[in-house]
Amino acid sequence: MSNPGVLVRVIDYSKCMGCETCEVVCGFIHELGPFIRLYDLGGGVKRPISCFHCSKAPCVEACPTGAMRRDSQGTVYIEFSRCIGCMACLYACPFGIPDYSETTKTSIKCDLCRLLRGDGLIPACVAMCPSRAILVGLPKAVGDEVKKRALTRIVQLGEIK
Amino acid sequence: MKFAFLCQQKPGLSRQKIAVVGAGPAGLTAAGYLVCRGHEVDIYDKLPIPGGMMTFAIPKYRIPLDSIMEGVEELRDRFGVKLNLSTKVTCGERHDEGDELAVNTVDMLKLVENYDATLISTGTWRSRKLGIPGDDAKNVMSALEFLLDIHMEELGLRASHLGSFKKVVVIGGGLSAVDAAEESILKGASEVYLVYRRTIKEAPAGEYEIRRLSRLGVNWIELAAPKSVTIENGVARGVVFQRMKLGEPDESGRPRPIPVPGSEFEVEADIVAAAIGEIPTPPIASECGGIGKHVGKDGKIAVDKSFRIPGTNIFAAGDVVTGPSKIGQAVGQGLRAAKEIDRFLSVKVLVAR
Repeated sequence: MSNPGVLVRVIDYSKCMGCETCEVVCGFIHELGPFIRLYDLGGGVKRPISCFHCSKAPCVEACPTGAMRRDSQGTVYIEFSRCIGCMACLYACPFGIPDYSETTKTSIKCDLCRLLRGDGLIPACVAMCPSRAILVGLPKAVGDEVKKRALTRIVQLGEIK
Repeated sequence: MKFAFLCQQKPGLSRQKIAVVGAGPAGLTAAGYLVCRGHEVDIYDKLPIPGGMMTFAIPKYRIPLDSIMEGVEELRDRFGVKLNLSTKVTCGERHDEGDELAVNTVDMLKLVENYDATLISTGTWRSRKLGIPGDDAKNVMSALEFLLDIHMEELGLRASHLGSFKKVVVIGGGLSAVDAAEESILKGASEVYLVYRRTIKEAPAGEYEIRRLSRLGVNWIELAAPKSVTIENGVARGVVFQRMKLGEPDESGRPRPIPVPGSEFEVEADIVAAAIGEIPTPPIASECGGIGKHVGKDGKIAVDKSFRIPGTNIFAAGDVVTGPSKIGQAVGQGLRAAKEIDRFLSVKVLVAR
């Protein structure tokens, strides 16, 4: 891939309104998905969670067959032909992200839309989020945007626009 | 929102022509899918800016206009999608909220003839009426009309018709009610009441949202239903409510609110906004050459599994099929319907050859 930088994805929960668009588009393009899902936290609040693509990913460390691996942009994905469905990755993951698929008999999870990225596109959840609550990019760019948003809230420049 | 999230550019030559009626989340997302399958898409919408409820009802701080427009502009500039705005497509007569903003009218049946397929995604632009004495006063309106007016001014399209207001009474417990109450606060209203006939536990908007509004200064009144609007010189001055108590579950599974006799109280209001439910508004308001029978009493279009009105090249998706839903559900309907349209047209081509 042309961009060798490591991608990070951040969900900005101060912007998320729980509209379910991310989950729906993810489920539409991934037969085994969705890989970003909303959970009901009570009181009518639903928010999404998905793989964090950790830089020191416990799932990659725990995987006994080397199926859990990284692509050139640092995104953690599963090489299905190597996965034995032991779910050691699930035990290792502090967020409980990997799921077991009855269809493939393997672990499954978000790969930040590898196929779309291969075509120079961005992950579907990021592309379609109405409130721009899901950010993806190089760590510096995403970090800057998150800090800018926080600063806007603090200084309350929001109303000017 | 990159509606054409599945491709960078249109693959190959244009294949077939599709009309999308209604530029909300379902219609725009369907358009994005269809251009990525190589089709030519024309969009029609009665309002002057695309986005539907995302542009004209949901507060801007939740969905910035840019977020919608960047995707729409990409559809237009990179994928050649034609936007016919301020254009109401209809067959038969019916006034929906926001119709007064349309400049052009296009006959639904003629439109259908000009395209290989048509997708109807016109949403829910009619509100249930309170149905109480005095509800026809000028300052009694639906939450949708209230939100539309505020957004029209915010978008620089026209000055607000609301005049100055200090006291707003919003009736309902769903997301439209929450949005209307919050916009009232943002517009500087000094007293905002949100009144719901059941309790916070049953409110469709959820307890979290209502508590958040309370912190913003909205007065939450539960277990009260409107009985009449107090009119002075033709203008509503307040709403008389009656206390409710919860009874046995009704057909919706929620406890039925039962009026408590002699418990009436009045809340003063400069504006009364009713958010007690929106109804689908298909562009089919009469027999319409036989397709009228596919519109239910509730206004919903009855489609088959492939989102098609049986025996036609007309498809429907989004809230006009399901009734009011979240953006994500409308987006999903748009995607699945678009996939079916693409399949339908591919089969048609095979048969024709």
